[in-house]
Amino acid sequence: MITRRLWRWIVSILIAGWLPVILIVWWWNASSTSDNPFFPPLQVIWEEFKLNWIFANVPVHLVPSMENLFTGFAIAVVLGIGLGALIGSSAGASRYIEPIIDFFRSIPAVALVPIFILLLGFDSSMRIASIAFATTFPILIATIEGIRTTNVVLLDTASVFRLSGTQVLWRVRLPNAMPVIFGGLQVAFQIAFIVTIASEYLGSGFGLGAFTLNATDSFLIVDAWTGVLLLGMLGYALSLVFDVVERASLGWYYGQKKLA
Amino acid sequence: MTTPAIAIRDVRMDYPSPEGVKHVLDGITYDVTDGHFVSIVGPSGVGKTTLLRLLTGLAQPTGGSIEVRGQKLNGSPKGLAVVLQDYTRSLMPWLTVEKNIALPLRNEKISKAEGNERIQSSLAEVGLEGNQKSYPWQLSGGMQQRVSIARALAVRPSILIMDEPFASVDAQTRFDLEDLVLKVRDDFHITTVMVTHDIDEAVYLSDEVVVLYGKPAQVSEVVTIDLPFPRSQIKTRNDHRFAALRTRIYEKVRGIQA
Repeated sequence: MITRRLWRWIVSILIAGWLPVILIVWWWNASSTSDNPFFPPLQVIWEEFKLNWIFANVPVHLVPSMENLFTGFAIAVVLGIGLGALIGSSAGASRYIEPIIDFFRSIPAVALVPIFILLLGFDSSMRIASIAFATTFPILIATIEGIRTTNVVLLDTASVFRLSGTQVLWRVRLPNAMPVIFGGLQVAFQIAFIVTIASEYLGSGFGLGAFTLNATDSFLIVDAWTGVLLLGMLGYALSLVFDVVERASLGWYYGQKKLA
Repeated sequence: MTTPAIAIRDVRMDYPSPEGVKHVLDGITYDVTDGHFVSIVGPSGVGKTTLLRLLTGLAQPTGGSIEVRGQKLNGSPKGLAVVLQDYTRSLMPWLTVEKNIALPLRNEKISKAEGNERIQSSLAEVGLEGNQKSYPWQLSGGMQQRVSIARALAVRPSILIMDEPFASVDAQTRFDLEDLVLKVRDDFHITTVMVTHDIDEAVYLSDEVVVLYGKPAQVSEVVTIDLPFPRSQIKTRNDHRFAALRTRIYEKVRGIQA
């Protein structure tokens, strides 16, 4: 059945890909004779893109951004799921703690970047802290919600079969919450991407955010466009990876939903 | 005299409710004889499931006591297994059939080989060999309930408690599962307590049927089912005594004075 799966895969790529391809072709042709300095021909952008990102500037600008993104996100995953699991398993705790969570998550993380600069200075720990702060809340809230809404029949069953508290959390509540937690992770990851770029707007010479901003400030419009193009590609690729991971780990959930 | 498998002594259960304290059960006293199949019947809302929750240790009675093999109940005792009505919500959808069955075995002090052997033999007992790698939601309702029964059997219980186990399956599957439960009881000598609202099913399966009636509910009648074993869906149900027993229990459930 390999050939059939391969065929389905090709079809799904064609379905997803036809519009982007048309748009790129259209952009390429429509901009080919442009002499507007702010909208250079795509061909010019592409030539510059190759000079910048294959692969001269990758170690200077791409690698630091990705390091911050993944470190900050990883911290948020550990904090969000860890704390969420503890808070969600106790009805009392969530009632006291939720107002505080609601307060902190209402603060736009970008607004806190200056405060993190005061506390941590201009190095990457400030950026990582900003990313972690912003992304912890969607994960935390999703985890609390997912853990708390475990159905009573499952919990009763676990209790009669004398599973311990840790076993109930680890083997019943957490797996049950995973679809909801993944929703939170997806939102968090998009926020992480935004904050990664925004945190590089202040006091940084490195990173994709800094590169794009500096290029714009220096009227290197073509360079700025290559940055934007790379960000778009990166965002798309990362969300694809995310989908694959989600599908792989939640096979039971999607299988069940398909039958329902 | 031997110790009963379960001794229910003057059990009372009250719930707080907006209209004041609700008395659900009052002065329930009954002994489940070791090895017996006992059904609990009664009108809807009488407190059958409440009594069942007390027997499984999921709730504590307000008054009186429940002893399992001479030990006062405090939480869910070892050697007790349950099969609940709502199989779609009592099996873990993220675990395959064999992992669902393996989950309660984590706390049994047994080797991995012994665990696997138990999973295989339980699946064979309920006629689900070859389905161990499926997910519960890939199986029909009747098969899912068989998985619940296999999971219960794998812990080698001495007591099996079932809450309307066949209420959500079609009639044909229901007969098959009833016969499966009888076979399991025979093979493993398991004391079984089942809540049901199907009086025919209670008569067909049981050694004794307990009728709960009233507000608060009390044991209004204990009916001994003296139909011969092994039972058969055709012969047993056509026995004239079957009809007489069914009528007697039906009247008690409806509160009709004979």
